[in-house]
Amino acid sequence: KHNAHAQGVPLRRKMASRKEGTGSSATSSSSTTGAAGKGKGKGGSGDSAVKQVQIDGLVVLKIIKHYQEEGQGTEVVQGVLLGLVVEDRLEITNCFPFPQHTEDDADFDEVQYQMEMMRSLRHVNIDHLHVGWYQSTYYGSFVTRALLDSQFSYQHAIEESVVLIYDPIKTAQGSLSLKAYRLTPKLMEVCKEKDFSPEALKKGNITFEHMFEEVPIVIKNSHLINVLMWELEKKSAVADKHELLSLASSNHLGKTLQLLMDRVDEMSQDIVKYNTYMRNTSKQQQQKHQYQQRRQQENMQRQSRGEPPLPEEDLSKLFKPHQPPARMDSLLIAGQINTYCQNIKEFTAQNLGKLFMAQALQEYNS
Amino acid sequence: FTSTCPFLFISNRPLLLSEDEEDTKRVVRSAKDKRFEELTNLIRTIRNAMKIRDVTKCLEEFELLGKAYGKAKSIVDKEGVPRFYIRILADLEDYLNELWEDKEGKKKMNKNNAKALSTLRQKIRKYNRDFESHITNYKQNPEQSADEDAEKNEEDSEGSSDEDEDDDGVTAAAFLKKKSEAPSGDSRKFLKKEDEDEDSEESEDSEAWDTSSTSSDSDSEEEEGKQTVLASRFLKKAPTTEEDKKAAEKKREDKAKKKHDRKSRRPDEEEEDNEGGEWERVRGGVPLVKEKPKMFAKGTEITHAVVIKKLNEILQARGKKGTDRAAQIELLQLLVQIASENNLGEGVIVKIKFNIIASLYDYNPNLATWWVPEMWQKCLDCINELMDILFANPNIFVGENILEESENLHNADQPLRVRGCILTLVERMDEEFTKIMQNTDPHSQEYVEHLKDEAQVCAIIERVQRYLEEKGTTEEVCRIYLRRILHTYYKFDYKAHQRQLTPPEGSSKSEQDQAENEGEDSAVLMERLCKYIYAKDRTDRIRTCAILCHIYHHALHSRWYQARDLMLMSHLQDNIQHADPPVQILYNRTMVQLGICAFRQGLTKDAHNALLDIQSSGRAKELLGQGLLLRSLQERNQEQEKVERRRQVPFHLHINLELLECVYLVSAMLLEIPYMAAHESDARRRMISKQFHHQLRVGERQPLLGPPESMREHVVAASKAMKMGDWKTCHSFIINEKMNGKVWDLFPEADKVRTMLVRKIQEESLRTYLFTYSSVYDSISMETLSDMFELDLPTVHSIISKMIINEELMASLDQPTQTVVMHRTEPTAQQNLALQLAEKLGSLVENNERVFDHKQGTYGGYFRDQKDGYRKNEGYMRRGGYRQQQSQTAY
Repeated sequence: KHNAHAQGVPLRRKMASRKEGTGSSATSSSSTTGAAGKGKGKGGSGDSAVKQVQIDGLVVLKIIKHYQEEGQGTEVVQGVLLGLVVEDRLEITNCFPFPQHTEDDADFDEVQYQMEMMRSLRHVNIDHLHVGWYQSTYYGSFVTRALLDSQFSYQHAIEESVVLIYDPIKTAQGSLSLKAYRLTPKLMEVCKEKDFSPEALKKGNITFEHMFEEVPIVIKNSHLINVLMWELEKKSAVADKHELLSLASSNHLGKTLQLLMDRVDEMSQDIVKYNTYMRNTSKQQQQKHQYQQRRQQENMQRQSRGEPPLPEEDLSKLFKPHQPPARMDSLLIAGQINTYCQNIKEFTAQNLGKLFMAQALQEYNS
Repeated sequence: FTSTCPFLFISNRPLLLSEDEEDTKRVVRSAKDKRFEELTNLIRTIRNAMKIRDVTKCLEEFELLGKAYGKAKSIVDKEGVPRFYIRILADLEDYLNELWEDKEGKKKMNKNNAKALSTLRQKIRKYNRDFESHITNYKQNPEQSADEDAEKNEEDSEGSSDEDEDDDGVTAAAFLKKKSEAPSGDSRKFLKKEDEDEDSEESEDSEAWDTSSTSSDSDSEEEEGKQTVLASRFLKKAPTTEEDKKAAEKKREDKAKKKHDRKSRRPDEEEEDNEGGEWERVRGGVPLVKEKPKMFAKGTEITHAVVIKKLNEILQARGKKGTDRAAQIELLQLLVQIASENNLGEGVIVKIKFNIIASLYDYNPNLATWWVPEMWQKCLDCINELMDILFANPNIFVGENILEESENLHNADQPLRVRGCILTLVERMDEEFTKIMQNTDPHSQEYVEHLKDEAQVCAIIERVQRYLEEKGTTEEVCRIYLRRILHTYYKFDYKAHQRQLTPPEGSSKSEQDQAENEGEDSAVLMERLCKYIYAKDRTDRIRTCAILCHIYHHALHSRWYQARDLMLMSHLQDNIQHADPPVQILYNRTMVQLGICAFRQGLTKDAHNALLDIQSSGRAKELLGQGLLLRSLQERNQEQEKVERRRQVPFHLHINLELLECVYLVSAMLLEIPYMAAHESDARRRMISKQFHHQLRVGERQPLLGPPESMREHVVAASKAMKMGDWKTCHSFIINEKMNGKVWDLFPEADKVRTMLVRKIQEESLRTYLFTYSSVYDSISMETLSDMFELDLPTVHSIISKMIINEELMASLDQPTQTVVMHRTEPTAQQNLALQLAEKLGSLVENNERVFDHKQGTYGGYFRDQKDGYRKNEGYMRRGGYRQQQSQTAY
């Protein structure tokens, strides 16, 4: 989690300069600017700019390779997605990883690196337009502040950008897990305001379900590659390993439960915090009220004595309102809990199915 | 430059002396003399400093020289710049430049010297600018000036001696005056150091003499040769050792030759030498008169009164500033001798002896310092002699309450009464002994030597004990008993131990053995002494110490139950924090010993509990008084540190810290590993031993796990093996060559401990195995288990039964087949997690509803409490529901 945050900060910095990048690229390719303009128009109408994400097989493989080479355990790998927007479809045709930067080379300039990378890719005639970023995840824990901030700055700079979440663990179990997310327009607005107070969120009508929207993904290969695949499938000597059908599930479930529990704990703390805040405000309210009443009585007495009433004092100075706790974190936690729950639901449903199947098989055999 | 020529004024002298205004004239001349002498003295010091490369000194002296030169300015104006002055300036500059160039040497120089060097170099450069022409002049023909200078020196001394001889009257007085004046100046310290400096000075002289002798012999013939000599002098500044030696040898030769020369050439010189020597001797003699002090004038009849008077006289000086304490002791000893020679009776001797011992104690001015061995030996002898006298003369009464006035030292008709307290003396002696032990390096032979004296100390204490048992009050007896106890409690009684091992019916033992076994067991002795103290003591402290020592002694001899009962009965654990630090240290030592004892008995839990407090603090070393912690050094000031240092326990009483830690860690392992296995998935499991967990974590953090080296690593590795139920590996990690050497062999009954340990490891491994792997088995035969862990069947049976009874293991025993049938009622890992999650969710909901409550406005008051209770109930029910659901869905 910490790592992800560390990555998130430079991302924002990078995006500031990214605007110039789009400016320069806009002059070079008029077709993309047209598409972007179109997307913006749609975005303006309240609808999402992107309806579908189409990913090249190359990108998928590159992401998987990146994680396998550099990611381990809870560590997260990240990278840049390149491609272009065609109508309401975002085509991701290439990507490159962020280098794993360590503390000791602090002067490593990421912006410089990315610009350099994109320039080089353009030289070999590859799509070089920034359309988002990808990140690996550990048991589906990706709903974090860092991700939110990064994605916000992306979407702020490039409307149609998405974040691809790659789950290596699920993938290792036999089902490729790749998901594209975007922030909802509502959340974008709130983030723009940078006001995460309970009132603002309430006004924005944001709940944890409406923070991210998932964009459907299509993986597309060129015909040539498809042909090659067919060719290879025949020749392939690798035995089919049906990890999909593995009945061992306890480890995955246990880990997810553990993570879920941690989030629940955090949530609990958050609620306690909120509770304290509520109690404090109400206490203050009471004090304020009492004070006002006393003032009123005194004024009444003074009036009866014929004296001028006491001057009005600024109540907000006397009773400084408590800072309401920011709700964004709890929202994120809730979102994360939701993801976990869905994961577990999905997982257990599949497992139940498998178990029933295994039972049936056994009965059939015996 | 002729003006500086010494001939001038020396030859002038008699002329001037004869004149009328001799006084004023002489004043003028002596002023010049004085100034120049001052200068030459300074120059000599500088040359000395140059020789030993003491640049700091050079700098100092150079500054003084500058000042002195300033003073002599008027004379210099008259007479011109003295040659020797120019010479030193030139030499010094050359010397400094040479030093400056010598990078290697500069590096080796200490900081002060290096700093002084650069300062001096700058100064002299600036200073020499004024004398530039003179210096170049000098450099062109250095031999001449050196020559002259030497000549001057020579002539000076010659002249003065001549003077002495020639005109006895006035000049002698003047000379003496001058002599007495001269040392009062800068050269005073120089003169004072003359004894040591003589050598160097002479060698310096020899330089001058050397050149001078050749020059005087053959005036300017051997200019070349002289130059080389001179050059070698200059070159000698950084000689290699060999060269140095050679040079030194040569110098010595020179010196001898010179002396010879001097003697042969000027017999008068010798006279002067003699004179000087005599003068010196007197000076040296003044401070220490080595003669034996005369006690009494010859012929005085030595009576009691005289001796007592003298004694008082000596004692009066005691404690005063400037009293030589060593001399005082000597005086007193002489007095004893005189007294015994004159048969003045035991009373007086006892009295004086008391005082000798007291002054011995006085010898060290402060508490921190300790005695040199001779003093210590003297003290021991003295006390022994005193005891001899007291035992031999039962009619002497000694007591601190006897007033000076009521002392009876010689009246043989009545019992002799002497003021003084033998007990205090012995206690002090014991303290001094501790101090000596504290301040001796424990790993040196010296320590062993000192330790041999312990027997003497014990013997003395025993004698005093016997003496006091007859004559002393109960209070005194208690005190001396405590001393005895303090010298007994920490010693393991091997004889008694041996006797225990060999049953008493073995009467075939040789006579020698019998003799060896004489004397009571220390256990019996401790019992007797302590019981006396328990019964009679009225000060709390002595009793506390006695109890603690008693417990320690019990524990040391593996009498666990006695030790434990005594500890519990004394209730010391409740109020030990009010005791003073030394007693607390003793308490800590006792607790540790108790823990180790419990461990030896195989009572791991008790051992762990006893050691927990000491070990968990991480300051065992400090708490046991076995060393100061470095980390807290800055927190305390000098004074506190001194106090703490005094509290340290001497090395021979130390408890091996590694043994202590090992015992603690191993008992923690034996407790913690099965516990961890049993509560693997329990969210609220507590730690039995933080220390142990810390060690485990440290072990886990290691990136590369090599074979264990240290004791801790061994324990960690063993714990890991035990976690898997692998008792054999565990055993091999705990008991092997390394661990034997480090820990186990230190126990008196090492083999017994090892067997106990193996058995414990087997048992706990079995328990761990069952906890960890019971979910894998449907049933397991006890025979298999007994094979696996090499335990006999009944033991396995009893362990499993215990686990079942304690509801640690959900299983039942099937008697006919001797198998353990698992019930599988404990939840699986997932179920456990689900339960935990449910619990957490419950609390989350509760918290959430509180927020909701708030919104509703039903805040505070009686009503809410009721509601809360209700909700809790509901929550519980709901949780139960979850549990059922979960266990259904998991399959």
